[in-house]
Amino acid sequence: MSSRILPEFDLLVPQSIPEAVEMLTKYQDKAAVMAGGTDLLVLMKSGLKVPYIVSLSEVPGLDYVIYDPNDGLRIGAMATLAQVADNADIKKNYAALWESAAVNGTPQTRNRATVVGNILRASPAGDCCAAALALGGKVVLQGAAGKREVDIDHFWVAYRTTARQAFEFAVEYRIPANVGKSAFKRMTRADQDLSKLNAAVCLNMSGNVCQGARLAIGCVAPTTVRMKKAEEILKGKEITDSVLKEVEEAVKGEVTPIDDVRSSAWYRKEVSGILMKRTIQKACA
Amino acid sequence: MKTRSITIYVNGEAYSLNVAVNRTLLQVLREDLGMPDTKYGCGTGECGACTVLIDGKKSILACLSLAATMDGAKITTVAGLEQEGKLHPVQEAFVNEGAIQCGYCTPGMVMKSVSILAKNPHPTEEEIRRELEGNICRCTGYVKIVQAIQKAGDAMASTC
Repeated sequence: MSSRILPEFDLLVPQSIPEAVEMLTKYQDKAAVMAGGTDLLVLMKSGLKVPYIVSLSEVPGLDYVIYDPNDGLRIGAMATLAQVADNADIKKNYAALWESAAVNGTPQTRNRATVVGNILRASPAGDCCAAALALGGKVVLQGAAGKREVDIDHFWVAYRTTARQAFEFAVEYRIPANVGKSAFKRMTRADQDLSKLNAAVCLNMSGNVCQGARLAIGCVAPTTVRMKKAEEILKGKEITDSVLKEVEEAVKGEVTPIDDVRSSAWYRKEVSGILMKRTIQKACA
Repeated sequence: MKTRSITIYVNGEAYSLNVAVNRTLLQVLREDLGMPDTKYGCGTGECGACTVLIDGKKSILACLSLAATMDGAKITTVAGLEQEGKLHPVQEAFVNEGAIQCGYCTPGMVMKSVSILAKNPHPTEEEIRRELEGNICRCTGYVKIVQAIQKAGDAMASTC
């Protein structure tokens, strides 16, 4: 397969959300939903066969990024990474998501790629996935029966498999207000590469004491995962060097990475704890 | 649908065509419209050789855009930068600073440079290098490209 051309497919360009739902209800597993296309089209150039593409490009009202200090953040399915990277409210209040969008790919792909798309792709290396899992929130799915929300903690069910059913599509990702201090870090060879390891944290702090933490790490399991043992270590404690050392050891013990083209299981395990420690320190800075 | 009728605006001119839905914007520009100034490099979004602008300022990759979803789009390619025989300041700077060696990355580089300056008229070297991510050059080592962008920025500012 040459990367110059795409295989044949049938294109559907709904003009509204109900029309998109109608198309997905009809074609279900035979259809792939396309937002920015920067991921789907690359997969197709590498051989992925997709009979139908449902493009969201002409569905109005999906490209919103709405922040409210009381209601939180709502990101529409067509809102691009560039929109998120340009948003000062997100940089201030959801720093992990901001950074995961700002470093992801290249300026050109960021002008098309979407946060919701990154979440739906469900790669364990997804940068926005790590940020989303740390920040929490819900994915809003639209089907013929209406909308339903799935907690991000339950959204990725297996390797590249989400809770989305074939007859619905994701219209929004939303995060509550006042989630706490967050940060994102990644390790990669060159910035535009996929991460070999990434981590995101969200800390609920009371002065120096961490009341609760969500620690997310990618590239070490079939999906992005939370380090629950490490989260327990932080709970109710001041974030001191010795606490961070415990967290580091816990993360290293908890991750189950594999060898792949980007890195080795050994290396990922070796540095996972340190990356998590540094991400926590970044959130606290 | 397997084909779609679209109208795209390329360098200010309207083109109405009936495209197969699986054709990328890059194929349509180069093959259907006979505009080979936009280059095919990798086809997978990494090299930036196919970079074009939307609305004169937003850089996108033609190789990862389905032409059929670009109805109404206002696209600028590198050949559209010249105005009445006069080179765009970015093109001028690339020539004067020696920022072109084999020239293959140049169309995409120039388009990216225009988009950088459209957003940030006086970028620092660090800002330029960060925004050049996504455009790969195998020849120059980027140094003269960075200089050209800085020179172009100064030239454009002084004519405002």
